[in-house]
Amino acid sequence: MSKPIIDIRNISKVYQMGSQLVHALRDITVSINQNEYVALMGPSGSGKSTLMNILGCLDTPSSGTYFFNNTNVRELNDNELAEIRNREIGFVFQTFNLLPRASALKNIELPLVYSGVKKYDRIEKAEAALKSVGLEDRMEHKPNELSGGQRQRVAIARALVTSPSIILADEPTGNLDSKTGEDIMRLFQNLWESGNTIILVTHEEEIALHAKRIIRLRDGLIESDELNHNQVNFN
Amino acid sequence: MLYEIKESILLSFEALRSNKLRAFLASLGVVIGISIVIMMGWLLGGLDKAMQDTFSIIGTDMLYIDKWDWTGGDNWRNVRNRKNISLKQAEQLRKLHGTAEYVIPNINQWGTTIEYDGETYQGMTAVGTTAENAFTPVGNLLLGRYFNEFEEEYGSNVIVIGHLVYSTIFKGQDPIGKTIKLNGRPLRVIGVVKKRGTMFVDFIDRQMFLPLKKYAGIWNVDRKSMSIGIKAGLENNLDEVRTETIGLMRIIRNLKPNEPNDFSINETKAFEKSIETLRLNVYMIGIVMTSLAFIVGIIGIMNIMFVTVTERTKEIGIRKSLGAKKRSIWLQFLVESSFLCLLGAILSLIMCSGIAYLAATYLPTYFPEVSFLLPVLPTELFIIATLVSVFVGILAGLIPAIRAARLNPVEALRFD
Repeated sequence: MSKPIIDIRNISKVYQMGSQLVHALRDITVSINQNEYVALMGPSGSGKSTLMNILGCLDTPSSGTYFFNNTNVRELNDNELAEIRNREIGFVFQTFNLLPRASALKNIELPLVYSGVKKYDRIEKAEAALKSVGLEDRMEHKPNELSGGQRQRVAIARALVTSPSIILADEPTGNLDSKTGEDIMRLFQNLWESGNTIILVTHEEEIALHAKRIIRLRDGLIESDELNHNQVNFN
Repeated sequence: MLYEIKESILLSFEALRSNKLRAFLASLGVVIGISIVIMMGWLLGGLDKAMQDTFSIIGTDMLYIDKWDWTGGDNWRNVRNRKNISLKQAEQLRKLHGTAEYVIPNINQWGTTIEYDGETYQGMTAVGTTAENAFTPVGNLLLGRYFNEFEEEYGSNVIVIGHLVYSTIFKGQDPIGKTIKLNGRPLRVIGVVKKRGTMFVDFIDRQMFLPLKKYAGIWNVDRKSMSIGIKAGLENNLDEVRTETIGLMRIIRNLKPNEPNDFSINETKAFEKSIETLRLNVYMIGIVMTSLAFIVGIIGIMNIMFVTVTERTKEIGIRKSLGAKKRSIWLQFLVESSFLCLLGAILSLIMCSGIAYLAATYLPTYFPEVSFLLPVLPTELFIIATLVSVFVGILAGLIPAIRAARLNPVEALRFD
């Protein structure tokens, strides 16, 4: 068995909310291998967003260890976390989170700017990424000139452009109609089939069914973690 | 890094364009502050130039022994009670002086009457002097020549006129060889002195120079005090020459060792002092006004930057999720606040250039005293204004930028 990309052991996350301590995650242990397609499921308040933030190196756990590609994330400082986010993780958000004033191409270039890629390579890579999501004719469009589905495609292209180790998608179809959502899910399936590792955070059963493995969270604990034998396949 | 700065400038530009009025109001304090710096520099530049002009009129290697102190340094009551410096004393000094290149007695008669071509002119000053006066800055002629030693010796009927005398009486005609009547005595014009007047010495172009002996034939030299011009030759000799001059003058005027000097030594240094005082006043007022304006300006920019950071919290979260380091975030906001200030500086420079040009072109017509004003801002002011504005921008943007860089990415992403 190959070494896991994500290796989380006994992590907990405790928030201070006023005078109350909130245990968002309690002693969670998970490992995810390369080219897995995992859905993180749970109702709101189950801790799935907290887990996603920790997986995405946007947040650090209160206790436990998190190895990302054999690197102990808890020992990293802010800049090193930023570097991991930049090179290893591609985020796709429910609200797309594109920069409103920048064109599609500029939005996709942004992660490359932060990793110091030269201008010529940057444009070439950004164009290739845009092409891979089928939006090569929308390069100079600003986000508000694109439909919801197109915006999400731009966001996916942005997540792909640095060739990250994992793609973290947080409710990627939450703001889309079901038809467009289906297109996006098809795109994720293609990405998975071409070798990408995908972690999908969702509270919708039908979306989760696209994944190969489903981890269910409840009250900060893992309720179940099993392979999905009914995977929805577009092919 | 370079690309990030370029990108930040473009971003700032966009942000400013969508908030023109806000940006303008925010940078108003900086605009005022920088304008004051520029105007101050401009005034001082003009003063410096006027000072240099004055120095070249007086001559930096010249001392003038006089009953009067030119800058009003000594108590005027004591000065008024001094005995006149007589022609005899001047001649003695001339004979005894060893270190000076030239010792040149001068005597002035204010308010003379000139007749020429049927017209009468009042208010010019006649100066009786020696041929050596040609070696002082007065010897710099526009037309003709100075009188020579023979003409001095014989008290010839010749005169060298100042520029204002020339322009008033001859109105551009060739004056050389023409005869004018000075208080009834006919004199032949042999030279015209170059125009030299500045704000500090405007009387100078009204002077006319004639041989001392001729002067003595027209006015009584015994009742007036002489002014003795002493040319040191080199600026480095000034101290030596000054020391000898004081010693000799004290002997000539029979001063006891405990008595103070009963004469004044006037030189460019004295003007330097009074101009230095003026400069200092301009500086002090300028610094106080500039500081106030910049404090207001910095607070204004800082405020607007805090608002900008809050408005862009979500954007900061997005950038952080894509791998922006703290440095990239604070850089972006520092560039933006510097850019805001730089635009303020450009605005001030345009405004002040206009004011300087208009003031220097039209004001001297009504107030000749301000003819020292320069119509163009000195180049170094452009550099200073730019540097100061960027510095102010960095100062004002520092705290908002650090706050932006420290934002927690999870919370920033959640912000709407």
